[in-house]
Amino acid sequence: MTESPSEAPAAAAAVAERFAGIVGSDDWSADFATPKVRVPRDGWIAAHAAAKEHAPFFSWLSAVDWSSEVAVGDPPEGEVESRFEVLSCLGDLDGNFVLLSTDLPKDDAVLPTLVDTFGGANWHEREAAEMFGIVFDGHPQLTHLYLTDEFEGYPLRKTFPLLTREVKPWPGTVDVEGMPGATGPSTENVEAAAMEGGEE
Amino acid sequence: MTTRLDPTVAMHLSDAAVSVELETPEMTLNIGPQHPSTHGVLRLVAKVDGERVDSVEPVIGYMHRGYEKLAEVRTYAQITALINRIDWVSGFCNEVPFVIAVERLMGIEAPERAQYIRLILAEMTRISSHLLFMSSYPLELGAPTPLMYALREREHVMDLIEGVTGGRFHPNFNRVGGVKPAAGGGSSTKKVVQDLPSGFFDGTRRAMDRVDLVCDELDTLVTGNELFRARTVGVGIIPPDKALAYGVSGPNLRASGVGFDLRKHEHILPYDDIEFEIPVGRNGDCFDRFVVRLQEIRQATRIVRQAVDRIPAGPLQAKVPRILKVPQGQCYVRAENPKGEMGYFVVSEGGRIPYRVKIRSASFSNLSILPWILAGQLIPDLVAIMGSLDFVLGDVDR
Repeated sequence: MTESPSEAPAAAAAVAERFAGIVGSDDWSADFATPKVRVPRDGWIAAHAAAKEHAPFFSWLSAVDWSSEVAVGDPPEGEVESRFEVLSCLGDLDGNFVLLSTDLPKDDAVLPTLVDTFGGANWHEREAAEMFGIVFDGHPQLTHLYLTDEFEGYPLRKTFPLLTREVKPWPGTVDVEGMPGATGPSTENVEAAAMEGGEE
Repeated sequence: MTTRLDPTVAMHLSDAAVSVELETPEMTLNIGPQHPSTHGVLRLVAKVDGERVDSVEPVIGYMHRGYEKLAEVRTYAQITALINRIDWVSGFCNEVPFVIAVERLMGIEAPERAQYIRLILAEMTRISSHLLFMSSYPLELGAPTPLMYALREREHVMDLIEGVTGGRFHPNFNRVGGVKPAAGGGSSTKKVVQDLPSGFFDGTRRAMDRVDLVCDELDTLVTGNELFRARTVGVGIIPPDKALAYGVSGPNLRASGVGFDLRKHEHILPYDDIEFEIPVGRNGDCFDRFVVRLQEIRQATRIVRQAVDRIPAGPLQAKVPRILKVPQGQCYVRAENPKGEMGYFVVSEGGRIPYRVKIRSASFSNLSILPWILAGQLIPDLVAIMGSLDFVLGDVDR
């Protein structure tokens, strides 16, 4: 059966604390059973090299664009510091995983490559590079992975508009964002709005 | 009148002719994007020296649909319909970790019966995904017969999935807090809810027996086949440390001798109540990857049988607000998909839509080892190795 709610966070916190010790950081969190250790930008490679001894499985690498101005979706609640958060996920063979995270300023989004530590980082970094415009210093082939060579812009940045919505409005009656040019959510689902707050 | 050559001169002449022919210049060979062995639209640019492959560069992105961007303008309920289509051979399994990530952020847990239904359908999806591999892989190596056997039984499993969810490939059956009432089950707002179609349990037991039988047939047809062994044993070996560093997961990792299965570690579905083994390979070659999958089908039928016997009665849905508003937080949930580790990193800033969803798909990492593994191989082995990794391009490109 699933772990009881009291048990899971404690286990995640233990994993986060252990890996924080391994990579030499004291900034960790384990909310929602997700152990996460923040490392400084210049310690990115060293942290991964140290963690590899204990967590040899390279699961993924990606980024989050923190921005209060967004072209699509909802902005975060309150002001956030404008930055890229690069995350990587490593796993061990006992069933634990840990997220390593570091912040990059948007005007200097450069991070050394992990390719020499984890071969699997190659494609993940290419994806993050084309989607967010992050430069991975020393990467052997930082070309587009999914997008065509001529593609301009970084699609997963929050400031990049979702072009299909610009060209053609969402056909249904239920939508979560206002149409371009409209003030406020023009296609708000009336029925859903009426029931908002009320439980079934 | 013909002149007769001195035999020794003739021998030297033919030697010279052969060595001239062997001096082949490096050639760039383009394979795909439309090619039967690429399981979709994958292009390989191979530098070849005769029959030997020097280097391969996979060109992906033909199926890129931008789900991570689309998820930023969809409500949580709408996203489950999108993520069905990531790995379309195992649509049901794609939904489970995402829905559980949202449940975890909201602090709700699906009722036990819903969890068991998720487990049964996830294992059925595993059987159907692996049976598709059992049919396509020998076909790529030139054996068309197993296709008929494997697809025949796969159809029974697909019928069962369709009977419950209403969809063969894209069930869209998971809801935050539980599962949808079965097809034709009526409204979820009224109390009369038919959750599984009548005859589902008997039909499932019969189908599992047939799947076990076809496993035996495939064993005799393929595993013991001299030609199949010659094409796969010792070909395309992935050592365990390389597999881990490249993020290779699922049966591909277990074939390399690493007995790691998230079903044993991530307690998101009630696998702890069920007895099953993790088949592990020894050499990490194409043959092991085939055998591990074949054994996994047998284990999956074992899991389904136990789950069908144990499934508790009860509600299908936890109490969930009509409009899903997910509190602020970040959560990563991963699960053992048929192809390997599938995970979602969901960042919520409160509200009806996620701020960011990172989709970790198994085939992407499984395919990223291809340039490493294909370097120095022969062209006929290229198809054998590619096929043995069992990737789906929708899962690679997302």
